[in-house]
Amino acid sequence: MYFAFTPEELALKRAVQDFIAQNLNDDIRGELATAELGFPNGPHSRAFFARVVDKGWAGIAYPREYGGQGGTLAAQYIVEEEFLRIGMRIIGGGTGEPAILASGSEEQKRTYLPAAIRGDIFFALGFTEPQSGADLAGIRCRAVREGDHFVVNGQKIFTTAAHFATHIFLMVRTDPASKRQAGLSILLVPIDLPGIVVRPLMTIQNNPVAPPGTTYGDPKTNEVFFDDVKVPVSCLLGGEGDGWGVAQRGLNLDRIGAMRYLMSTARDEDLVNWLKGESGIAASLRSDERIRDKVAEIWTEGQVCRLMTMRSLSIAAEGGNFVYEGSAEKVWGPEHGVRATEAIGQILGPFGQLLNGSGHAVESGVFAHNLLGAFQSCVNHGSVQIMRDQVARRGLGMPRRPSVAEAAAKGLV
Amino acid sequence: MNTLLDEDEVMLKESAATLLGAESPASLVRSAEASDLKYSPELWRRVADLGWCGLCLPEEYDGQGAPLAWLGLLLEEVGRHIAPIPLATSSAVALTIARFGIGSQREILRSVASGESILSWAVQESGGAWNIDAVSMPGRVDGDDVVLDGTKLFVDGADAATHFLVAIRRQPDDAIGIALVDARAAGIASKRLVNMAKGDQATVSFRNVRIPRSQVIGGWSRGRDALTFLMQLAAVFSASLMAGAARRVTEMSAEYSNIRFAFGQPIGSFQSLQHMVADMLITVDAVELLSREALWRIDSGLPAEIEVAQAKSFGSQHCITVCRSAQQLHGGMGFMIEFDLNLWYRRVVSWSLCAGTAYEHRRIIASHLLDRPGHMRLDDCHPEAGDEQGRLEGHNETELEVVK
Repeated sequence: MYFAFTPEELALKRAVQDFIAQNLNDDIRGELATAELGFPNGPHSRAFFARVVDKGWAGIAYPREYGGQGGTLAAQYIVEEEFLRIGMRIIGGGTGEPAILASGSEEQKRTYLPAAIRGDIFFALGFTEPQSGADLAGIRCRAVREGDHFVVNGQKIFTTAAHFATHIFLMVRTDPASKRQAGLSILLVPIDLPGIVVRPLMTIQNNPVAPPGTTYGDPKTNEVFFDDVKVPVSCLLGGEGDGWGVAQRGLNLDRIGAMRYLMSTARDEDLVNWLKGESGIAASLRSDERIRDKVAEIWTEGQVCRLMTMRSLSIAAEGGNFVYEGSAEKVWGPEHGVRATEAIGQILGPFGQLLNGSGHAVESGVFAHNLLGAFQSCVNHGSVQIMRDQVARRGLGMPRRPSVAEAAAKGLV
Repeated sequence: MNTLLDEDEVMLKESAATLLGAESPASLVRSAEASDLKYSPELWRRVADLGWCGLCLPEEYDGQGAPLAWLGLLLEEVGRHIAPIPLATSSAVALTIARFGIGSQREILRSVASGESILSWAVQESGGAWNIDAVSMPGRVDGDDVVLDGTKLFVDGADAATHFLVAIRRQPDDAIGIALVDARAAGIASKRLVNMAKGDQATVSFRNVRIPRSQVIGGWSRGRDALTFLMQLAAVFSASLMAGAARRVTEMSAEYSNIRFAFGQPIGSFQSLQHMVADMLITVDAVELLSREALWRIDSGLPAEIEVAQAKSFGSQHCITVCRSAQQLHGGMGFMIEFDLNLWYRRVVSWSLCAGTAYEHRRIIASHLLDRPGHMRLDDCHPEAGDEQGRLEGHNETELEVVK
């Protein structure tokens, strides 16, 4: 047990914080305020991001030969967290790049990883379909091999970054006869290939737009249609039919890690620091014993989020032998985010429902917009129900429920 | 940063689990409950011989000088097996003496390490509040003596204890002190309470109990700091015990759900129960992480007031829920005195309500967060403490000086 970062890691954290304090200005802040998923979206934020890349902080834990620094996961976490706090995303864990690092060919690694670290390419995640969420058995998007190409036909949905991503990390069925996880493959598909159509789907954060830092503040996501899209075979990641395994390998931090941690806890800190501020409402609220008690409870739950994140980081640093701990974190964190946001609503009273741009909105309406978005963290990247199944079975050895066929054979249905 | 146990820590925890698994079965817990002593002298002797009683005490007083977090691991196992030994109580007092004791005050630690002396604290009074400001029992200075007069409630291990560490206020200036008093001294009487754990908890009255002022641990000037430290250890040790106990009922629930059948299948295959037990495990892990961090910070010389309060408030609130879920899963058996589950439930209730309730500890947290200046982050809520790394680096040297 060692519940602190090492001196080197703390020095890095201070260096990043100092860099941000010295270089973040209103121009950059203004652009990042509307940056979707934290991707620099204007000249000032792009220049700022380029300086971060020059410092070697982007992709810090990736090997040097692929554009990283060969740093520790703790270092990557520290950098990611500090930049996410100002609304800017730095490549770390996720579904795309770690899977390429784990399963890609040498050429793929050299092609994609340095470019991704520099921010020149970016993957949208293309797993979910209208009839297939957590249960990949339902994936219908098909890829048929014809010579040196796959021909892809089908549809994906909730492909959040598709309208500005350069590629889709696409799960397709390459063996139409296969069921469930077998017969799936991963293709790294350039988004500009002929036959791909991206259509927007507006979220409940669309109008007014959520302030920066809001949990699931995205104003829109997408559905993507594939109509006879010819994808070169060189875009196949890992083996044909090994799509499920490819998606599992590599350090997938979509469910855990800095971004999920901040999604779950940012409002806890916001609440405390706002209550300590100058506003007259805050002064009267912070002396109310009932509210003080609730604030302490929310805060402690937030600390559990942090400790579970640190536990996952510890496990990942020791080789990533997760049993149930990542799933446990993906239950506790998102549900805490919802509980805390709802409690904050009750604390703020009618001010808690005022959205961005409204008169009397508290902190640009971030608490209100969080009430719109927080529950999405319980849904995406494995719902908390699926996560609880995994905790029960892997963490405690509880029996899998019989399949429909098994139940029928036993006369249970 | 590593929240996981290292090899030594795993070995320590596993050996404690093996020992208590063999030597602290539910039958021992029941016989201790039914006995006058309320604890097992044989098991106490056994763990004393293994060095548990002096695990974190200085080596010059026959202790092992181990990190405080290691004692937390032992206490998790004590809680997991609800071992009937006063390890948490006695250790909290001994560690307070080790840190704040001056001159010969620390001599008693040798007999604590050997298991001969059993120490207990006496803090709460008739109002039941877990709060230094609620301490009102007078200690009247009379020449070189201090005369104690008053009554303390909820004193754990009252009959087993050879000494009490009593929180008092010096008359007439109300300075806080903690006085070590021989439990057999004239004027002391205890009356056992019937608490839910059916343990050795009592009301202890002090009538004109005269002690030399050299028994005020750390002297009057450090009395408040010493009492704060004692109360922090008492609270966080209680959280460690609760984490262990709640883990055991979670394990029992998973086991039972695999062997109890309903509608032709093990009840553990029902998703409603899987999700309930998953929540139990998640909660137990949370209490464990919070209490381990608090102990680690105390040991590292970092401010830990809020971390202790986090562990105890969260543990007090949630470990009862874990036990209740275990009872729910066990159905009617959870209500039967002959079925062992109630042994854990009753102790968790007692632990959760003593050494500060969820409300009392959340009051500490709220005050820390809202009543002092500085920007708060979850990973840095001690802006007043300045550079934590500097403190960590300088810590080992200062600690050694204190020990000398």
